[in-house]
Amino acid sequence: MSDDNPVYPFSAIVGQEDMKDALLANVVNPSIGGVLIKGEKGTAKSTAVRAVADLLPERKTIKNCIFHCGAGQKRYLCPSCRALSESGKTPEYENVKMRVVELPLSATEDRVAGTLDIEQAITKGEKKFEPGVLAAANGNILYVDEVNLLDDHIVDLLLDAAAMGTNFVEREGISYSHPSRFMLVGTMNPEEGDLRPQLLDRFGLSVNVEGERRTESRTEIVKRRLEFEKNPHDFCDKYEPLQQDLREKIKTAKKIIGDIEPDDLLLNTAVKISLLLNVDGHRSDLTLVKTACAFAALDERNSVNGDDLIKAAGLALPHRMRKLPFEDARLEFDRVESLILESYKN
Amino acid sequence: MTDYKPYPFPAIIGNSIAKKALLCVIINEDINGLLVTGTRGSAKSVLLRSAKTILEDKKVGIVPLNTTEDRLFGSIDIEKAVTRGDIGISSGILAENNFQMIVADDINLLDEKIVHGILNTSETGSVIIEREGFSKNITTHYIFAATMDPEEGGLSPQMLDRFDLCIDTDVIKDEGDRAEVIRNCLEFEKDPDKFTLKFQSDIAKIRVNIENAKERLPYVLIPGALLEIMSELCLEMNVSGQRGDIALAKVSKTLAAMDGRDDVVFEDIKEAALITLQHRRRNPPPQNESPENRSQDQNKERDDDEDHSKAENPDNSPDKKPTGNPGIDTDLQNEDEKNEEPDDNNSSQNMPSSEQIFSVGSVFEVIDYLNEKSVKKSNRDKSGNRSSVISYDSRGRYISYKNLNKKKNDIAICPSIRAAAPFQRFRTKEGLAINVKKSDLREKVREKKTGNTLLFLVDASGSMGAGKRMVSVKGAILSLLNDAYQKRDMVGLMVFRKKEATLLLPPTKSCDLAYKMLKEMPTGGRTPLSRGIIEATKLLTQGRYSKMGGSRAVIILTDGRINVSESGKNPYEELKETAKKASEEDVQFVVVDTEEGFPRIGFAKKLAFELGATYFCIDSLNKAKLRNLVKEAVYTRVL
Repeated sequence: MSDDNPVYPFSAIVGQEDMKDALLANVVNPSIGGVLIKGEKGTAKSTAVRAVADLLPERKTIKNCIFHCGAGQKRYLCPSCRALSESGKTPEYENVKMRVVELPLSATEDRVAGTLDIEQAITKGEKKFEPGVLAAANGNILYVDEVNLLDDHIVDLLLDAAAMGTNFVEREGISYSHPSRFMLVGTMNPEEGDLRPQLLDRFGLSVNVEGERRTESRTEIVKRRLEFEKNPHDFCDKYEPLQQDLREKIKTAKKIIGDIEPDDLLLNTAVKISLLLNVDGHRSDLTLVKTACAFAALDERNSVNGDDLIKAAGLALPHRMRKLPFEDARLEFDRVESLILESYKN
Repeated sequence: MTDYKPYPFPAIIGNSIAKKALLCVIINEDINGLLVTGTRGSAKSVLLRSAKTILEDKKVGIVPLNTTEDRLFGSIDIEKAVTRGDIGISSGILAENNFQMIVADDINLLDEKIVHGILNTSETGSVIIEREGFSKNITTHYIFAATMDPEEGGLSPQMLDRFDLCIDTDVIKDEGDRAEVIRNCLEFEKDPDKFTLKFQSDIAKIRVNIENAKERLPYVLIPGALLEIMSELCLEMNVSGQRGDIALAKVSKTLAAMDGRDDVVFEDIKEAALITLQHRRRNPPPQNESPENRSQDQNKERDDDEDHSKAENPDNSPDKKPTGNPGIDTDLQNEDEKNEEPDDNNSSQNMPSSEQIFSVGSVFEVIDYLNEKSVKKSNRDKSGNRSSVISYDSRGRYISYKNLNKKKNDIAICPSIRAAAPFQRFRTKEGLAINVKKSDLREKVREKKTGNTLLFLVDASGSMGAGKRMVSVKGAILSLLNDAYQKRDMVGLMVFRKKEATLLLPPTKSCDLAYKMLKEMPTGGRTPLSRGIIEATKLLTQGRYSKMGGSRAVIILTDGRINVSESGKNPYEELKETAKKASEEDVQFVVVDTEEGFPRIGFAKKLAFELGATYFCIDSLNKAKLRNLVKEAVYTRVL
């Protein structure tokens, strides 16, 4: 973001702890798979997502790669980086900041998936791939505002890419594939319609945000916002120390998380929860474990405790228990909590 | 094509049937098509892509959802045409002979034409290209495998029939296994190479087994007596067409070969039947079979099934059984449950209706899926999970192209270039590589999936208040909500009682919201049906809902005992007039008569006549049937 247009600092957001936790957990471990933020208008959904960009760590990527292929891994590389790494040369690296790539609702299929580069085709008569949003999103945050209003066929494309972390393009005479691993962040207002369960399942975590209920928090929100609007630069400067702390915290957490080995207790509890709730598939188990580890790392601990798991369960499970009617879901959740407490008693 | 690292095949936990099916198609290349169904996150795609680790030349082609026809079948090679003036073919995915296997994820979301093309090619073994001024026939051979999540909408029976094998992924219930799944996944994510290395010897073993089975396969024989049993089995299971029989024979042979035997035994057939016949079953014709027969069949099948799983996986815990054989059990069970339902409701009239509703709702999910198939089979040859219409603005999925219409600006660039390519030798290019003339221009044909707008007009007057009636009415609406999700239909709920018609829920795509409203729907008071019809018609023909794509339908659920008149005339007369007017509007009507007992006024029937509506009676209201009728009414309009 340019300095002329500062973003509202993340640490200045009042309340909405769940949402902040979910976003931070994802920053620490992007493979959690993103966040779906559900809530009414004006509950700092977009503000939080945009603000998180400022906290994002730098990634080591291969220089000049349009897909920002990550360094030090072989699994997800674009064809040219793969050729480079297979040729035995050490590629040049550069550090780039993770960023927020926005997918507008009006996006068309060809722009999302990528398509034939028309300019090349007409001026040179060559077939070349023109990367789309899914390419730009690789290694970054893919942000979809009002994700429930996204056209069906665009959703299909997202699902396809998210499934394997690779975007396969077979269209308009182009056959190409490139890595497309992104952290999917979506916001939606549930009153405007549901999300397809399949897409829902792709979001690692989900949070429900509500407007603040307490008067003092509400006044605080207004006060800060007015202050920010009056002089954004001063406001940001004021919060810079806090922001810096947060960045440090994320940095440490990222280091720690590599060392956390999920123990049997954690795995077994996660499995028990999934069985108890009868959730579909295995994604919930995985996300639960990863998120709990991320919370432990954020708290600078090497081992996961019951609180981490409860916190993680609250974020990773609700949107996967869709088959239950509303009131029962809360009851179920109480059972999950007591199960976790039971397992972690000692 | 990027090489992606597939999860090693032997590392997949559980899913023994699915794994076996995958081996079958690899060993016996005459078996056409493998379809893996299952809910989200149940390792469908992982399973199919893992095939790459056990295939000999390691080539797996992927058909992504964004595929266009030209890439699938092949088309003119632009580069060649423009730079050298040759007309050559750049072959598509299907014709690239180096793929041993082609995988399509979420096949139910792919364009029908494309699915058709793939299935046809895999069956005939040749791609016939007739486009852009050249014609070619390329022979090809590949194993085709696809995945789908039935919750996202089904596949039409013709399409299903093309798949020789159809299996459902296991739901793993065992705690230890599940924990193992997580452990493996985490490990794989961390270092795929190291993880794969761990399974190297297993992979080698499987490869050897595949080779051995391949060699043995041509010598495997099916004893005559068993051939007969096969045909009987197909008949008994009410399989449509002959493909099932043939697939059954092929798969049985393959299973025998895998097991290192030269002759097929009964066990092979049983096992093969589960994966080849399941998806081909027609719903039993309702009149021909008495319930007793059916339950006998069911018992028989269950026994078979139990034998089978015991024989197959002696160490499996019994709770795995249902997942091994999902279809037979659930189908019939559900049918039974369905038959029992009315009685349940009868006996528990005084129970709060909300609980009733939810139990009904959960049963319906499965039935819904089956019924969808039966509807398509009976009255539509052009099928699709949702109603698709060609879109005339520039939104929607790009499916094809046509000559440019003067007014539009939605140019399909690639086809235009392809159309211009052959003429490049003769055109002046003015510094560009290609000169496109107006006559070359093509525009995109786009397809939009439009849901229909369904408005339930529910009689909530006192006469409807009897517990059972309202419960079944609510149940019917609920089951349509599930359906609505799949089709992206909009569902609204309007209630008339006392003196007015209230719109409880404006047409919405939010099923959750609809659930909620339905649960809280009040009952009691008088019956202002005319008002209801006027309001409902108004809602759908004026304002924002009138501009929605797809068709609109009002589903009236009433007992016809009207007793409020607005104009002061006889309420029946008034209703007749209203109905006549409403029938002229561009809205479809369905009347569900909820009247019961004796004597009957039978006014709902008259109303249906005046409205030109489809009519049926709640007495014979099999809930599955209700949905069919509604569907028929809606679909005959759309297609």
